[in-house]
Amino acid sequence: MSEELLKAMAQSIIDGEAEVAMDLAKQAIEAGMNPLDAITKGYMPGVNEVGDSFACGNVFLPELVMAGEAMKAAIAVLEPELKKAGASREILGKVVLATVEGDIHEIGKSLVGTMLTAAGFEVYDLGVNVSAEKIIAKAEEVGADIVGLSALLTTTMVRQKEVIEAMDKKGLRKKTRVMVGGAPVTTDWVQRIEADGYSEDAVSAVHMAKNLIKGS
Amino acid sequence: MRFQSQLLSEDEKEQVHQETLRILFEAGVLFHSAKALNLLEANGARVDWEGKIAYIPREIVTQALSTAPRSFVLGARNPAHAYPLPSPVSRYALDGTGAFAQDFYTGKNRYGTDEDNARALRVFHAMDMGVMAWAPVSAEDKPAGTRPLHEFFSIFKNTSKHGQHEVHYLEQTPYLAEGLITVMGSEDEVRRRYAYSLIYCPIAPLMHDGPMMDAYIELGALDMPVMTLPMPVTGTTGPVSLFGNICVANAEALSTIIIFQLAHPGRPVIYSSATGTLDLRNGAYMGGTPEMGLMSAALAEMGRFYGLPSTSAGCTSDAHEPGPDAVLEKAITSIAPVLGGSDIIVGFGQVQSDQLLVLEQIVVDNEIAHFCERIFQGVDVSPEKVLTEDILKLGPGGNFLTRKSTRNLARSGELYFSPLLDRHTLEQWTQLGKPGLYSNARKQVENILAEPMQDPLPGDIAAKLDEILAKADKELA
Repeated sequence: MSEELLKAMAQSIIDGEAEVAMDLAKQAIEAGMNPLDAITKGYMPGVNEVGDSFACGNVFLPELVMAGEAMKAAIAVLEPELKKAGASREILGKVVLATVEGDIHEIGKSLVGTMLTAAGFEVYDLGVNVSAEKIIAKAEEVGADIVGLSALLTTTMVRQKEVIEAMDKKGLRKKTRVMVGGAPVTTDWVQRIEADGYSEDAVSAVHMAKNLIKGS
Repeated sequence: MRFQSQLLSEDEKEQVHQETLRILFEAGVLFHSAKALNLLEANGARVDWEGKIAYIPREIVTQALSTAPRSFVLGARNPAHAYPLPSPVSRYALDGTGAFAQDFYTGKNRYGTDEDNARALRVFHAMDMGVMAWAPVSAEDKPAGTRPLHEFFSIFKNTSKHGQHEVHYLEQTPYLAEGLITVMGSEDEVRRRYAYSLIYCPIAPLMHDGPMMDAYIELGALDMPVMTLPMPVTGTTGPVSLFGNICVANAEALSTIIIFQLAHPGRPVIYSSATGTLDLRNGAYMGGTPEMGLMSAALAEMGRFYGLPSTSAGCTSDAHEPGPDAVLEKAITSIAPVLGGSDIIVGFGQVQSDQLLVLEQIVVDNEIAHFCERIFQGVDVSPEKVLTEDILKLGPGGNFLTRKSTRNLARSGELYFSPLLDRHTLEQWTQLGKPGLYSNARKQVENILAEPMQDPLPGDIAAKLDEILAKADKELA
């Protein structure tokens, strides 16, 4: 295993260079490197370093996002190789994300998706204006550990409650936790609709998701 | 002379316009409204129906700008409060549809209610710098399906100033129309007086909601003016540079105006913006920054460049609570659009990035508006203000308190005296319990709420409005 290659992988994440990250992944495959090692010993240290630096205020959000995108790009190359080898990377959990019906605000939710993916979650982002039925169907299909519901407006955040109620009726809440987010969402709202958690920003969302998985 | 400023040169405004034309034509604009896409296609735009994107050529921009009225009087239920647009001075609007209110009596923050709107509108009504009332909170105690109607009707009831609010979808429009006609007496009066208008927010970057746009097109039948309020945020929903974000906001504003002009040529429209900046450290939206003030001022100049009534968001703050942070941010985001020539600055009454209504803040913001107004008025050099003769007469060591000119100009507005800032001596101030901006504002709010409502709706109109709302609650449930 090439130490230099592993270091370059970490650096490509720190630099937020998706193309470099992909090239290195391809090189690793050609060189016969175990794709799981590439992820855990190459790229992940880069992700961890950027995350720690962000927490200290030394890395800005666009740098964090670019690092996340680079990680996604590397995984996209390595994942098929993992499957071929009959292996799989350690997934922290499966997350279905959506902006609720009637609301077409996307960016906050997508940012959460990027952060979760970079941290090791498998994310299914259903986009915006998604009905409760579609969200629940996807959660059931993939066996989601977490459903994340975004809403920017006070008039659409009531849909978060509707999704939770529908999940309750189907008995899904034992397996699947619900995280909510959006500008009008507060701890008070989370308690009222009996969601399992929320965070005020995308980075805290990762901590919340990890805690929900640990607690389940 | 008046304090004059120019943020963008004529060449720079032309550059914004040219970049905007490229954005509209090459990137296109996404409309979730088939009505809007049909209008654009019928007028020569190429439409990608699958992607819902219209590529808007410059000819359509020119056409829309040629039919948009260059001036009109923003009316009011009480005609004394009518406000002609464009205006030589800046006046203010209540900030709207925040999620939260700080309870005036308990001091606790909670979701906003119908009662919060009523109180805030009454306080706003008493503010001399305020001309346009927007329902300040989303009334969480009302059903989501009719909430904007409750909020709109609260404006009808609690102030006779110009009211601006929103509806969210087509089915709400007949109830709004019925309410407007009930308040104004007839459909003709609704159309003639422009006492109520609509606020419309495109979704950045370069997108438009479907149901809201369809509803607003429908309300063109009543000739209701529409204010477009694009909200791109540097670095997330808009490019990170101020100039780039200004171009995106301008493209969104023009694309809104185009639709309403194509649907109803000559319908009054108001150019506006509510840009934000991204906190690059944590991704938070910020609306109380110097950069936001600059973008508001530049976009106010762009509205004027197009010959349209031109307004801006401003007097905005990201502070978590009322206080010095809020005053700093609100002052800086007010003075910039004032100097940019904005007709109306939208932001009274809220902190927490337009999410928390605080009644005392409405009064404090009115005071900030007075300070900005005084700066804008500049240095008057009319003959009665020159006073060289007095200087010559008194000479070195003279006391100007003895001059008639001092007495005569004492109440002329030459010097502004704040009724809110405490100017007692230090010892008096200490003995009085150290009153300040917010405690004085609180007293003013208490007084306003204790007084009978100004200009209440006459006769049984309020009761009729309640009947319309009850019907809407039942039928739209």
